[in-house]
Amino acid sequence: MQNSDLENANPTILSVSQLPSRGRKGPATRQGPDSKCDSIVYPKRPWPYGSGSSSDEDVDETDGVEEPMDEQDIYDLISPISDPEHPHTLGQLSVVRLPDIHLSPSPAELPSPDSLVTVQVDLTPTINHCSLATVIGLAVRCRLEQTLPPNYRVDVRMKVGSHDQDDQVNKQLGDKERVAAALENDTLQRMLDKMLETCS
Amino acid sequence: MAQFSQWALQYVLSDDEPAQLEITQKAAREIEASRASSTVVGNWAASVQQWMTPGFARDDDQVEDGDEGVSGDIIARAKALSFLADTLETLDRNTLKSDQVLRLIGFFGAMFSYDHKAGITASAKALRQLCAMKSFKPDMGVRVIDDVCKIREDFRLQTAATRLEIYELLLALIQDPSVSSELQHKYGASCGFAVELLQLCQHERDPRNLMIWFKILAILVKDYDPSPEVTEEIFKAFSAYFPISLRSSTTPIGITAEDLKEAVRGCFASHHRLATFTFPFLISKLDQGDAVTVAVKVDILKTIKACIEEYENPQASIVPHTEKIWNSLKYEVRNGEVKETIDATLEVLRAISRKLDGTKTHKLDVALLKSYIDLVFRDCRDDLANPTYTKQAGLLIMTVIGANIRGYVLYNAGLIDTIRQNLRQPKSPSHKRDLLLLLNSTLKTRMELSKQRKQGHPEDEETLRSESRAHLETLFHDAYLPIWAGKSKEMIAEESDVLKQVIQGFALLVSQQVLQSDGQAALLYPTPTCSEICSLLSLTLTNGLALSSNDSNAGEPDLEDEAVLALRNIVMSYRYGYEEISGRVTAEIRKRDWASPSAYSLNALKDLLSRFTFIGCSEIPSKIATNPPSQQPFSPLQHFLTLTASLLELFPLSSRLSTPHSTGNLEEGLANAHIVSSLHASLLWFLEACEAKYGREALASYSSSDQNWLEQFQHLPDDWLIQIRRGDADLLGTLVSLQQDDPEVYRQFLKLSLFNVRYLFRAASAGSRQTWSERALALLSQMSALVVRSLSEELQVSCNLAHEAFNFFAGPAEDSKRSASDIQTGILTVGILQGLRPRALAGLYQGVGVAEKHMCDTSGFGTSPSQESSVRAAIGVILANKYQGVSDPETSMMKRVLDFWANWYTEATASAPINSEAFSFHNTVAMNVIAGAVARQDRNVISVIPALQRAAASQHANGEIVARSMGILLQHNNLLTQENHAVVKRFYKQWAYSHLAKPLYEDALPGGKDNHTANRYRVVILSVVSNCPFTVYQDDLEPLIRLLVTALSDRGALSEGVSWTQVTSALQILVEILTNEPDALKGHLREIIGRTTKVYEECCQKKAGLAATLATCRNLALQVLGAIPTKFEERYTLPHAPPMQRMLAVACGDPVRKVREVARKARSNWAKVV
Repeated sequence: MQNSDLENANPTILSVSQLPSRGRKGPATRQGPDSKCDSIVYPKRPWPYGSGSSSDEDVDETDGVEEPMDEQDIYDLISPISDPEHPHTLGQLSVVRLPDIHLSPSPAELPSPDSLVTVQVDLTPTINHCSLATVIGLAVRCRLEQTLPPNYRVDVRMKVGSHDQDDQVNKQLGDKERVAAALENDTLQRMLDKMLETCS
Repeated sequence: MAQFSQWALQYVLSDDEPAQLEITQKAAREIEASRASSTVVGNWAASVQQWMTPGFARDDDQVEDGDEGVSGDIIARAKALSFLADTLETLDRNTLKSDQVLRLIGFFGAMFSYDHKAGITASAKALRQLCAMKSFKPDMGVRVIDDVCKIREDFRLQTAATRLEIYELLLALIQDPSVSSELQHKYGASCGFAVELLQLCQHERDPRNLMIWFKILAILVKDYDPSPEVTEEIFKAFSAYFPISLRSSTTPIGITAEDLKEAVRGCFASHHRLATFTFPFLISKLDQGDAVTVAVKVDILKTIKACIEEYENPQASIVPHTEKIWNSLKYEVRNGEVKETIDATLEVLRAISRKLDGTKTHKLDVALLKSYIDLVFRDCRDDLANPTYTKQAGLLIMTVIGANIRGYVLYNAGLIDTIRQNLRQPKSPSHKRDLLLLLNSTLKTRMELSKQRKQGHPEDEETLRSESRAHLETLFHDAYLPIWAGKSKEMIAEESDVLKQVIQGFALLVSQQVLQSDGQAALLYPTPTCSEICSLLSLTLTNGLALSSNDSNAGEPDLEDEAVLALRNIVMSYRYGYEEISGRVTAEIRKRDWASPSAYSLNALKDLLSRFTFIGCSEIPSKIATNPPSQQPFSPLQHFLTLTASLLELFPLSSRLSTPHSTGNLEEGLANAHIVSSLHASLLWFLEACEAKYGREALASYSSSDQNWLEQFQHLPDDWLIQIRRGDADLLGTLVSLQQDDPEVYRQFLKLSLFNVRYLFRAASAGSRQTWSERALALLSQMSALVVRSLSEELQVSCNLAHEAFNFFAGPAEDSKRSASDIQTGILTVGILQGLRPRALAGLYQGVGVAEKHMCDTSGFGTSPSQESSVRAAIGVILANKYQGVSDPETSMMKRVLDFWANWYTEATASAPINSEAFSFHNTVAMNVIAGAVARQDRNVISVIPALQRAAASQHANGEIVARSMGILLQHNNLLTQENHAVVKRFYKQWAYSHLAKPLYEDALPGGKDNHTANRYRVVILSVVSNCPFTVYQDDLEPLIRLLVTALSDRGALSEGVSWTQVTSALQILVEILTNEPDALKGHLREIIGRTTKVYEECCQKKAGLAATLATCRNLALQVLGAIPTKFEERYTLPHAPPMQRMLAVACGDPVRKVREVARKARSNWAKVV
């Protein structure tokens, strides 16, 4: 596609390091010229003996710790989806933003593991007349349906005021039958597969 | 005659090369036997007569029009001539007489005139042989060349292989000094033969032939002194090929395009008489603009460089062209974007600079160099004021100035002045950065040039000594300091780049050296300035400690790291630097109370100490005189000493742990532990520096087996290192006299380190429990292991370190002072034992020695049995592993130890009620002792195995513990590694598996023996197998898979913990099998999917105390299920797909994040099954 054909030729792009991630929530480990022997002189596990000294040196201490699904998990699932126009991900283009993801009720407070949880994702298209908004919404929906357990209900919308025709787009994305029909379309399906390729 | 004719006929009729060789050898022996009598040689030559006569006199046209019979003649004739050529090849070089050689040359030479179809290959070959004969005369060479040239136009029609023969013949002749002088004598500068050759070979295109042809051309130019006209002709001949390329061919010929380029380059660079043609030609090629690709451009530039480097008499050959070269090349750098061309261009410019300076032995007139640099400088000076071109202009100037000392000394003052002027009014932060980069680069170049001064002309050193330094001396206050002082608090990225350059500049300034009148190097800057720079930079170091956690954003980690590197470079030349930094760092640390520090302060302390260590110990300092001269002696170990002493002075930072008598809380006393960490890091850094500088051999070169370092230490006070630093004690004599290049530094470093370890061990074993947390002790133990394992075997023996592993370097009368607990002493013991070589431990095994006592220890445990047992186990595994047995295994101590444990197992799993918990801890020790022997493949182990198997199968509850822990025998153990000098046999796992697990399969399978035994044996097998690599159990997959299927569903009467361990092992093994040989599972797919699914579902239930195990199980189960669709065809997986997809969809909601990830992957794998 030529640049002139793009609907938004110059979107704002965040670098990967600027995206919200779980890793940076804790204190960052400094990597300076002097950090080479840190793993030896500041061992993660100060007790080097016994059966614990087995081969898996990087045994994660947090193994087995329960961490219920949260907004960041949902963000990590959908932010790597590729944009249909640009060689960037939805996260980099800020189409998907962490504050616009809501889980209700929060999985941490579920009465039983089978109770229903609604995931609401508000998308922000890069421009307000984006004709690909529906496709992006469809991709997000597909990705979530393929990766979330059956007790999660997915609701993908355009953020209020972010799109000229957000009502129509929302209606389209919310209509199960129209979504199912869209997925029958080979061209559309190929496009979605291409967008989801970047998700691991 | 008849004989030769017969042989010739045989040769012609034969197609078999070995047979042909045999025939020619016979002929050659015959000639040699007759001592080349004329008759025999005549007969031999005449033997091919019958093939020569009919076609010989014919005109070529006739032959071409001829029928098959005639072309048959050609082949036969060619073979007949080959018979002669091959005979010559096998013939002894001394046999033929001069007149015979001449006649043969005449004969074969005539072929070039008459027989272009059949005679050329064989004749060329024969002539090559003849030219190598002893009685060959130079004038014959001239004749051969004449004859060869007669082939004229038909040369092109010959096959490439034939032409190759001719080229090789020509090369051999032209290279021959006697033929060469004969040719020059005959033809003089007109080189008539060369002109003929050029005509002959002008259309060559075969790469192999070209390689030789280019070689011939280069020799012609270089050695034959041709007239300008002929030179031009030759130049035209090879330059027509430039730039040369090679079409890729399906049949590789062993010559690359790069070879051809090199060969053509060799022609261009062969002699300076080509200069008038070369430079205009190459530059015109370069100036073709966009038509030239990068590869061609680089080829041209490399060729120009080769010419500049090779041409002699630069005044005549290069100087007339420099301006043209510069004018053409400067834009490649100024406006260029491709790194390769820029680099190649700079190489050319640097080559000119070097050439115009002269050689090591002969300096050229300085005016030549001056006019060249002036040319460059004039063009680039203005660009320095233009932010767009500053970098490029700087690069160009530095390239020509920095190529040699003379150029640098003449021009650096001018350049620095220009930079300084521009720096006063920079156009933008990036302009400022580029200018500083250039300034730094001038300083760096200065250092490099003065380092190389010894390799150049003696005049260079003199030039350096007499250079003016005023412009350098003012740089700090004029250029760098104002920018540093003007830094703002909130920096943008570009300003931070500027400051990084300033920091680098600081380091370069301090490291600048000047040559004193005695030839010694001294620092350019006076001590007060160096000290000021040090203090400016060390402020960034200690900043972190001064801030609180709320200001944490104020730090600039990039700048701090840059400052750390700069300080490291500074202290390597400025000898007081580290002492000053150390003073500042220790003062800052002391200012704070470390009794109950915050996490932020602890982190800041860790960073500060880590950087402080890196600065002083990551390289070995050099001896450079200070200004004014220093009174203190220099030692390459002085920074290491300063660091060690100041850390020891700081230790302990807090002498009060929060709960004095608690054990096992490893987060206690972190501040103290950080100091030990830094001591450890200092050893690691300095060891690496020593190894890089002196190599490991440095320790082997000088044997000190008779020295007992520990004995020497006994005469020194404990705080000797601190005393040295305060100046109260003298260094050991040797340390003072050490020079930085002396490998003895490495040994002395180890000696000091051992002293240090000794001091800390004494302190730790006698010191208070409050100072030494277990974390600090574990670190000290690792540190001692590092020192001990670096020592040679002789030294380990002579210092009797094996004894000190239990004595902790205490003096004879000091035993009573020891107050440390068993765990503490145990940790220290492990450290030393870990690093010792087997022979150094020998003393411990004698009689009923210390080793046996420790390996057979079944005494009770104290307050923290888990830790105590792992320490005992660590000691046991080392002692059992490093035992060097006596020749008779029956009497060996190891047998006693293993028998002891065999008995113990029998008793403990018999009816006697032994507390399970205590049993489990002792079992860990026992298993580790046996594991040490297993790694060494001790034959005595085999006799313990039945006892172990019996114990595992016993009705007693303890049997289960034995069965479960059997894997310890093969588990990876950090103590059993090569760097720790452990004895680990290469195939010990195979060996152990075949004795431990393999015999149990039969009884472990359902229906084999009673249920109880089968259950226990299954646990043993799975425990062992899960610690083996796949190849070990590859042959037993069939029974193993049946066991795995059983293990997944049938928990038997096993306790819950053991049953889950068993499931985990089973799943681990399944993952391995799926990765390596999935086909083995094909018949069991239904069971495996079904039972793994069930395991997953069971694991989802919450069970107290087992959360981590269950999560691991779920993770592994999903790994197994997820891998199945990727390994099997759809016809196997399709029936399972719908239930799997449902189950995996639910698994995507697993409470553990890692498990969710695996589940998603498995789900997407199964989604592809349709």
